[in-house]
Amino acid sequence: MNSQHSSSRPNSSSLKSRFTLGFLRALKRLNRQPSSSSSPPQTVSSPREMCRRYLRIRIAADASMASAVGSRRAWSRALLLKIRSRQSRSSNSSARRVSMKKKCLGEKIKKKKKLKCCKEINKLRKFVPGGEAMDACSLLDEAAHYIRCLNTQVKVMTRIADN
Amino acid sequence: MDPTAGNVPGSAVPGPDHEEPGLETLQFREEIQRLITVPPDNASSFTALLELPPTQAMELLHLSPESEPNPAPAAVSGEPPLLKPCAHPFNSSLTFPSNATLIERAAKFSIFGGDQSPETGAVPSNPGVNLEKVKSEPAESDSNPNSSQETKSNQRSSAKRKEREKKVKVSMKKSKIEAKEDADKIPYVHVRARRGQATDSHSLAERARREKINARMKLLQELVPGCNKISGTALVLDEIINHVQSLQRQVEFLSMRLATVDPRIDSNLDHLLATESLSLMQSNFSSMAPPIMWPELPINGNRQQYQQQWHFDALHQPGWGREEDNHIFITPEASLISCNSSANSASLHTGHVKTEL
Repeated sequence: MNSQHSSSRPNSSSLKSRFTLGFLRALKRLNRQPSSSSSPPQTVSSPREMCRRYLRIRIAADASMASAVGSRRAWSRALLLKIRSRQSRSSNSSARRVSMKKKCLGEKIKKKKKLKCCKEINKLRKFVPGGEAMDACSLLDEAAHYIRCLNTQVKVMTRIADN
Repeated sequence: MDPTAGNVPGSAVPGPDHEEPGLETLQFREEIQRLITVPPDNASSFTALLELPPTQAMELLHLSPESEPNPAPAAVSGEPPLLKPCAHPFNSSLTFPSNATLIERAAKFSIFGGDQSPETGAVPSNPGVNLEKVKSEPAESDSNPNSSQETKSNQRSSAKRKEREKKVKVSMKKSKIEAKEDADKIPYVHVRARRGQATDSHSLAERARREKINARMKLLQELVPGCNKISGTALVLDEIINHVQSLQRQVEFLSMRLATVDPRIDSNLDHLLATESLSLMQSNFSSMAPPIMWPELPINGNRQQYQQQWHFDALHQPGWGREEDNHIFITPEASLISCNSSANSASLHTGHVKTEL
């Protein structure tokens, strides 16, 4: 979805700019798709279409965020993996492979969960993408970075929505 | 002939490197005993001690021409070698050498105390100095094996010191911090064992882990607003989870809004992307383009209105494009561009999405 990265110099451009560009591109692509199919200006009033569109936009937002971050963060990798597996789920059996991997990880996770048996830490795993397979220490790290990125995402999206 | 009798002889010890046992030995013995009893008072006595050695050494110099030429610095550094011969004449108190070394160390490092005396008085004043210098001590002693006796006494004293350190709680906090710092910098984790705590590797590793987790929790607390006041890991984690949840919901809500608000924004996005990649237009943008009302739903009737607005009002940016309106939008843009004849105009109407670069 966000294969094209506008920033040729990812280090100099900030996370915010990378995310914005990626997200706007995705939006453009999304907007183009249905319009090309239907010639009459379909007001997107039908709930189903709107729902589909909303889901696509949300996925686009997450994906552009994750690709803006890059692969250096575990949560972004996990998020991208999830999105790509979801996309290819219908077409391939790659999704099955991914789910198998997750099952194996699940066993590892139980061990790690025992170490830090805090309930809250386990709750936090559900919210941070890829948090299932992390130990408490790195989970907190990833959570901090994830919160920062979510803040950026929200700011950018409010600006887009307001304008 | 007791020049030093009146004072508390800090390391009066150094005095007798001379070889004249007898009178002087007796005197020194008394002084040393006084030394042992006096010190536990408080830190101030220690500072008195600090001053004393040099003066005393000076006096001793007068007494006997044998002592080292530099009393002041040597009073401290010269003590170790001076102590050696001291050990001999003082058979009365076997504990003397260790005490003397300890006292000398105290003079050096502001740790004071004999075996009996607790350092509670002295320690709170310089806990940090305490630890740093204590840590450097073994290194120093290791690096300066002047003599076997000296090292032995050093080892003895360092062993005793370590025992004492374990008991002092104030220093433990510092050791925690230092241990944590070490953990960050060095692959080995140097952690001090606390009193009553197991010192096996497992618990040490666990303690280091816990410290790491606590450090990260602090970072998270700073990120999440309103978490600073909360105390207790569970509540803070709850707060963090709520924050993450709310942020995720916000993203979903905004994406819903975007889905309903702008069905078609192709052309605008095209221009937008083009200009965005060029420059930072935020400064131009925020000054020139006030946020305009966004048409909530594209209604046929309003289209023409907006188009007229587009023609007449350069600043207005409906920002929504329909498939059939694309060409219409492009032409007003072109006209606007020609009107304004500046690159900024392009950024103006396409860059309405105040994106910050």
